[in-house]
Amino acid sequence: MSMIQVSELHFSTEDGVKVLEDVHLRVDQGELIVIVGPAASGKSLLLGLLGAQIPPQQGQILVHGRNVARLGPDKILALRRRIGVYPQGFVPLPRTVHDNVSFKLRALGNYREQAEEKVLYALEAAGLIRQQGMDALELSSIDRIRLGMALAICHDPLLLLIDEPFEGLTETEKAEIARLVSRLNTGHLSILLATRGPVPPGLEMSRRVRLLDGMVKGA
Amino acid sequence: MRMFLFRELLGAIRTKSAILFVLSGFLMFLFLASVASFLMITPADVTSTTEGQPIEELQVFLSPTLSSATVNAWYLAWRERSDIASLSFQFVEESDQTATRSIFVVTPTDPNQASILAEELRAIDGVTDVIEVPHVKLIEAPTVSLIVRITLLVVLVLSIAASLFFFRRGYRELLAVFAGEIRMLRLSGIHERILVVLVVALGVLIGCLSGLMILAVLYLLHRVALSTGALQLFGGLAHGMRILGSGLMAVGLGTVLGGLAGVLGASLLHRREFDALP
Repeated sequence: MSMIQVSELHFSTEDGVKVLEDVHLRVDQGELIVIVGPAASGKSLLLGLLGAQIPPQQGQILVHGRNVARLGPDKILALRRRIGVYPQGFVPLPRTVHDNVSFKLRALGNYREQAEEKVLYALEAAGLIRQQGMDALELSSIDRIRLGMALAICHDPLLLLIDEPFEGLTETEKAEIARLVSRLNTGHLSILLATRGPVPPGLEMSRRVRLLDGMVKGA
Repeated sequence: MRMFLFRELLGAIRTKSAILFVLSGFLMFLFLASVASFLMITPADVTSTTEGQPIEELQVFLSPTLSSATVNAWYLAWRERSDIASLSFQFVEESDQTATRSIFVVTPTDPNQASILAEELRAIDGVTDVIEVPHVKLIEAPTVSLIVRITLLVVLVLSIAASLFFFRRGYRELLAVFAGEIRMLRLSGIHERILVVLVVALGVLIGCLSGLMILAVLYLLHRVALSTGALQLFGGLAHGMRILGSGLMAVGLGTVLGGLAGVLGASLLHRREFDALP
């Protein structure tokens, strides 16, 4: 089943500069797709559009069978709650690792006990269970990324959008994060990971697509 | 969920934002106090008194058995007296419908000597009574001067303007601390309305507390005023219902203004620094 179906997607800046041009992309349920492209090639914008954070201008985006352009504000919010996002340059909240995840879950309407269960599950999945009492701002670079991942998956999303998770990491750490992403790609969860490249070893992707001059190659 | 987020927002208040919010609350309290003062001012009230006043006229009641010739003769004679400034004849019916006598209304030349003149006239055979009518003095109750009123008005305008200014500064500080949470909430699909409600609720809370403080202060002043009798300028403090009405009005007005300040603070949420994605 198709999780994302993008067709004839165009996007221009306010100045009229074309950022995305005639983008076609299909992501099936459970797939892990890596989008590789140079800086300012429109990767973050594409993820923002797919995550229903940025309204599309032209073209069609179907996420889980829903046309994002036709959704009302409430439906857009409901869709966002089914998507996990790891934003580029993720900065955690100035509280403990545990409380970072707990805050998000409580804000989404989970009761304390319910949230507690999900926090432990997400931290376990991200390999952060031992650091749960630590101040998130004191985490190492790799652990910050792990926390970002835990936050992105804690509410059990259908789609995970990861933007540049390898920034500022050593080759070994990049491989560790690659393995973490691969581990998260189980069951129904579809993952789109955008990176400048190169793709570190250990990332068990379904496909790799290139985003160049606003156009997707190899989709 | 909203209560949880509201607690989190309150938890993000740091020293600087706390000082700014306390200052805004105090200024709103000043504004509400100015409004309440206007409601407590005693309206200008005019009363009269005759106590200690000089005798202004004498009403000399004449016996009905007196002939008109005698009355006429007295009139001519008294008019010539140096201790009588003016003299007029009236039938009592003119002032008292049930009486059937006549009177002379005598204005003494010297009010201080009026009692001596009254005694002298009482002694005359044919005069049944002499009533000494004192001067009526009008007394205007003291009220708040124009300067005080203008000062209150200036305090009223300045305090609300300053309050809103400091509210906005306080919100800017608070939201800067809470920026990460706002970005996370937006990224997670939390309704924009919830964020606005949180920010407005804080303003409402501060405004409502300012109003409740006014209610408490008014009640305290009411108790003090009753026990000391110091009610000349602000007579409204004597009336319990007026105190309650003004206090509740202050709570209502404080709540509305706090909400307005909250809306002002919520307008900051549109800044780019709170966008979900950089």
